[in-house]
This record gives sequence, C-alpha cells and structure tokens, in this order.
Amino acid sequence: MQFLYMTWTVKHKPKSTAEIVGNPSAIKALRDWLQSWDKGVPKKRAVFLCGAPGVGKTVTVEALAHELHMELVEKNASDYRTEDAINRFAGLASQYGSLFGGKRIVLLDELDGLMGNADKGGVKAITNIVKKARCPIVLIAGNAYDPRFTALRSYCLLIEFKKPPASSVMKNLQRIREREGIEADENTLKFIAQRAGGDVRSAVNDFQALAQGKNRLAYDDVSWLAYRDRQESIFNVLKMILYGRTSYGAKQAVDMADVDIDMLFEWIYENVPAHFPDPHDLVQAMDALAMADVYRGKIRASKDWSFTRYVIDYMTVGVAMARQESKVSGWIPFKFPSRIKMLSRSKAERAMRKRIGLKIRRKCHISVARTSKEVLPYLRIIFKNNANMAGGIAKWLDLDAEMVEYLVGSKVRAGAITAFLG
Amino acid sequence: MSYEMWAEKYRPKQLSNMVDQKIIVERLKSFAKSKNVPHCIFAGPPGTGKTTAALCLTRALYGEGYREHLMELNASDERGINVVRETVKTFARSRSIGEIPFKILILDEADNMTSDAQQALRRTMERYTETCRFIMCANYSGKIIEPIQSRCAPFRFSFLPREEHDTYIKHIAESENVHLMPDGLEAIFEVCGGDLRRAINTLQAAASMNKPVDSVLIYSVTGKASPSDVQRMLNTAINGYFLGARKQLRDMIQKYGVAGVDIIRQIHKEIFKAEIPEPWKMKLAAITGEIDYRLVAGSDEEVQLSALLARFVEAGSEIKKGN
Repeated sequence: MQFLYMTWTVKHKPKSTAEIVGNPSAIKALRDWLQSWDKGVPKKRAVFLCGAPGVGKTVTVEALAHELHMELVEKNASDYRTEDAINRFAGLASQYGSLFGGKRIVLLDELDGLMGNADKGGVKAITNIVKKARCPIVLIAGNAYDPRFTALRSYCLLIEFKKPPASSVMKNLQRIREREGIEADENTLKFIAQRAGGDVRSAVNDFQALAQGKNRLAYDDVSWLAYRDRQESIFNVLKMILYGRTSYGAKQAVDMADVDIDMLFEWIYENVPAHFPDPHDLVQAMDALAMADVYRGKIRASKDWSFTRYVIDYMTVGVAMARQESKVSGWIPFKFPSRIKMLSRSKAERAMRKRIGLKIRRKCHISVARTSKEVLPYLRIIFKNNANMAGGIAKWLDLDAEMVEYLVGSKVRAGAITAFLG
Repeated sequence: MSYEMWAEKYRPKQLSNMVDQKIIVERLKSFAKSKNVPHCIFAGPPGTGKTTAALCLTRALYGEGYREHLMELNASDERGINVVRETVKTFARSRSIGEIPFKILILDEADNMTSDAQQALRRTMERYTETCRFIMCANYSGKIIEPIQSRCAPFRFSFLPREEHDTYIKHIAESENVHLMPDGLEAIFEVCGGDLRRAINTLQAAASMNKPVDSVLIYSVTGKASPSDVQRMLNTAINGYFLGARKQLRDMIQKYGVAGVDIIRQIHKEIFKAEIPEPWKMKLAAITGEIDYRLVAGSDEEVQLSALLARFVEAGSEIKKGN
C-alpha cells in the first residue's frame, strides 16, 4: 500500500545498469571511465552526458554509483545558480575519498538550466572546478553542443545517450506490467512504447496514467490516445503516399512516419479503397499492397530483414503509381486501421473458439482448426434451438458455462442449458 | 433423441460396420487378421471414413484396450517440426507390450504438415518401423512428399454413393426418432455431397428444431451453418462495392474463423458458376491460383484475398461497360 501514490518512474526505477533500457555502449564507457579513477586521475576529469529527455542519463549515473560502491553527491539546477553557489561546493570535488572512506562522484545535473544573467559565470565556475577536480565529475545536459559549453566541453569526455528503440522501451513496460500485475497485451504496450518516441520516462508515465487503478488495460483504452497527437503527421504521410507523384516523395514518407512499417502498412491498407475510386487503379494499388505483404511473409519465414526494402517499395511507390484515372473530389477523411481494432477484439473470441475446439477434439477426432468450420456452426444452431439436446452435448463435451454462453449467443438463454451441467 | 454428437455416436466401431469403401475394408480386415500393418496413407475427401477406418483397424488389432497402443495426432494443430522430433519420436521408439510388437500412430490431416516436418518424419518412420506403424490421413495425397508416399500403402477413399449415404442417414433418423421427409434426405445429399460427417451434423442441427425435417429446413440450417457466404461477397464486389465486400471478408476470417484456403476454394468454385462473360472466368481463375499460392507461402489472408476482391470489382465494371 505504501506505493499507492508513488509514481512508477520512481517505484520502478532501475536498481542496476542491467535494468536500464538501451545505450549499452554509453553505459560501458561511463563505467570504464569511473573505474579508471582507481588508477589515478585520468586525462579527462569530467564526463559530459548528453541526450534527449527520458533516455536514462541520470538513472545510469545513480545505478553505476550504486554498483561501484561510490557516494553520489548530486546537484541539480534547483540547487545551484550562480558562480558563488557553485564555488561553495567546489571543495567536495577536491578529494577522491569521501569523509566516510568511500569514493565519491559529483553529479551536476540539468546544466541546460543554467541560463542567462541569473547564472552568470556558472559555466565558467564549473569549468574551473573540472580543471582541478580530484574526483569524477559527471555533467548532464540535453544538448552538449550549446555554444555556452564549448570551453567546458574540451575538458570533458563526451558520452552521448541515444533514444532506445521502441522494442526496448516495450521490454521495460513488460517488466513493470509483471511487477504491477496488470493484464495488458503486447499490442497495447507496443502502442505506448511507440508513442513515447524513445522517451522511456514518458512511456512509463503514460502507462501509469492509463493503467493505474485498473487491473486490465485493453488496446481500445489506448488506441484513441495514441493518435491524438500524431494524427497530423500520419495524415501527411498518407497523403504523400496515396497521392504521391514521384517515387522519391512516396518513399520518403516512410522516414517521416513515426509508426513502424507494419502499422504504416495497415494505415495504407485501410485507406486505399476510398482514395482509389477507379476500379483499375484499385486493382493496381491492392496488388502492390499484396506484393508488399508477400515480402512481409518472406521476412517472417526467413527472418531476413533485407527484404524490407521491397515491402517499402511496393507499399509506397507501388501504391502511388497505381493512380492513373482516379480523381478524388472533395475531402475524404483518413480512417484509423479498423482491422487492428477488430483483431484485438476478436482475439478473445478466437481464444474461446480454440478452447471449445480443444474440447471437441478430445471427443470427435477432428483438428481444432477444422472445428470452427465443421462443428461449431452446427452446435450454434442446436444450442439456440434445443436446450435439452444442447445440455446433453455440453455435458458430453464437458463445456463450461462461458462456452455455452458463447454458443448460445445470449446469457439469459444459456442458463437453461447450464442447468444440465449440474 | 439422444443428446450427444451423433456424428460420434454413429461412428462405426468395427470394420464390418463401415459403410461402403468395401475394397479398402477387406484389405484392412486382412491386415488385422495377420496382425501386421504396413505404413498407410488414407487419402480422400472429408467425411468419407478415413479416421474411422484407422480407428476401427486399431480396435480390430488390439481389442477394447486399443487406446493404449494408439496415438492420434492432428497435423493441423500440431504440424511443426518439433512435434515430429519430440512427440512422435518419443511415442514411436518405445516398444509396445503385448502380442503385437508395434503401436499405431494416426496422423490426421497429414497434408497440413510443413514439408520440414514431413522430411523429419521420413527418417522416424524408417527407424522405428519395428515399434510403430503410421497411418497418415489426408485430403490430398499429393501434398505428402514423395519419399513418404513411397514408404506407405496408399488407400483412396471416395465420397459415399447415394444409396449408401441414404441408408446410413435413414438409419440414424430412425434410431433417433427424427421425422425425416424424403425431400429432406435428398436435400442433405445435395448440400453435403456424400460428406457423411457434414450430413450427420446437418441432420442433427435440423432435428434440434423439433420439426419434421424437410428440404426447407435443411436449406435453412445449411444457410446458417455456412458463415462463409462467398457468393454474396463476390456479388458485392462485382456490383462495385469493394469496401462492403472487404468487410464481409474480414468478418468471415476474424469473427467466424473461416480459413483463407477454404474461402479461396469456394471463390474458385463460384467463378465458374457466376454470370460473367466466359473470358473473364479464366482471367479470374488464374489470379485466384496466384493468390492461393501466396497464401500457402504464408502471406496475410485478408490482404491477399482483398486484392482478389479488387479484381472482381474491376471485372464488374468492365462487364458493365460491355468489354
């Protein structure tokens, strides 16, 4: 209960570098540099960590300090402002061993916060401390290439943190999902991860905002939000592809899209018919998508991702070049890929069919795959029309109440049948 | 009326009770008598008694305790190579206790096995012949790789002829006190074409309505029982409504779980029945073949089939123009 009001970014903050999402080489570089202090003062007495928000810069320093048993003295923008204030903790940096015998790291976070006159001389003061430092100093800023940092930078080892790919962000969400015991399928997490655009922290915040207080998060709960702020851009991308005149322009759209190739495919697949009214053009465009899909199949089968280029060719240039006669008058809205929505909804139904299919297979010597065509339709008729016969069959097949309800298609009438189950 | 699945209740237990397939049954009887069985392929359309024959043969060999000497695997559900490497191998290599030194493995719907799995199976069949005999049931023996075919005795099952079908269905109707009208029986044969499982399921579903079973009732049952109304979908496309047709396709695949290969098989059938100019029929059939091929190669069912639907839209508009 004590965690109830804690934000998940704090509660699930990585305790070790192993739990940090992405940037393995940056983490290794920082670790190597920190350890090099054991052999004496290195050439560069400070590191400068830079990278977009939420990619794990601060967390990495904290985790490494913990792992290397070092004391972390942290100052961030709210602590220091001016030259004087900074000089006041210069002493801290003057020795490697701390008062308690441990080794020490001095962390100056949020350097971007040093701005204008109020922090006048701040950067210069930091530069002076770095020059004479006797213990590792870690500086963090979003943009290390800000001209204000030019002099300071030359005394620092620059380590860049990159945005981790959506798949890594997703792994982190999966970890939190397990710990929080929330039911959320892969599609849902994938959406949150992709939306975050490499910002791990915001992905975790989004996940919490959406899921807290529930124990189940469905795709429909998040899909609306996923495109709330991205619609503008996906619409432009679609326009470039569906109405592209050059292969260059159509292909470039892929780079602009902030959804993955599969999702972009779904967007195009959903919207092609309404935008290609001429039947011949429609055939060409749908053929192009079908060919893109053939290569997707090859990728699935061979795990050879180099085929991706043909997928992209067909789904962009192939579709754009299909337009010969089709003229669209007026505004036709772009639609969200409905197939995706339906897939997640019918997932439960597929699972149910499979469960019933397994029961039938035990008795009827037929594959689960074929029960949905050769047995289920007949059972549905029987269950709707004859409670006695249905009850007997339900008992014989050992169906549970939920399965009966699925076959009857109504909760009320299922009652008459489940009575037979005893 | 009894309250279980009639198709199971009336599945013959003894070889001698089997309807039709006389020549096959005689040979199987001689296998049972000599207590020796080669590897077999039972090929033929659905509902013609392949699985039943395999089960009856096993029972004839081992008597009522036959289940201990038998493994039934369904290749549609377990068709990967791992199943062959693990489940099949483990079963095949252990010796059977009793008079007959081998066990029986029935591999149902074997034509749905991946070719990798079939290749792996080929060695297993050879190595463990002493301890295990395979009966592979398949709709098409052609989908089973040559090396396996050459190791098996082939048996070809065919659809039941009209008289045998009628006798059996009438027998069930009488035993279950179903009032089956002559035109109802005819309708069942018409709709199910000698697929006995389907015929019995149809009869039972119709009987569940507690009315005399006539042709009207049968047609209404089979109409409801086939969610894959392919004809309606194709008409929607030919009339120029691509989005409507795609929606129907999506429902078939996602809501009712109809397999893409089944849909395409029906589309192929409908092409030659449809009222479209003759040259178009071959054009569409050719494209259907191409799409079928892609489905087998593992592409997305809806995407591929909707590309095919677009062709029907195109055909419809050309026909309207008089081309």
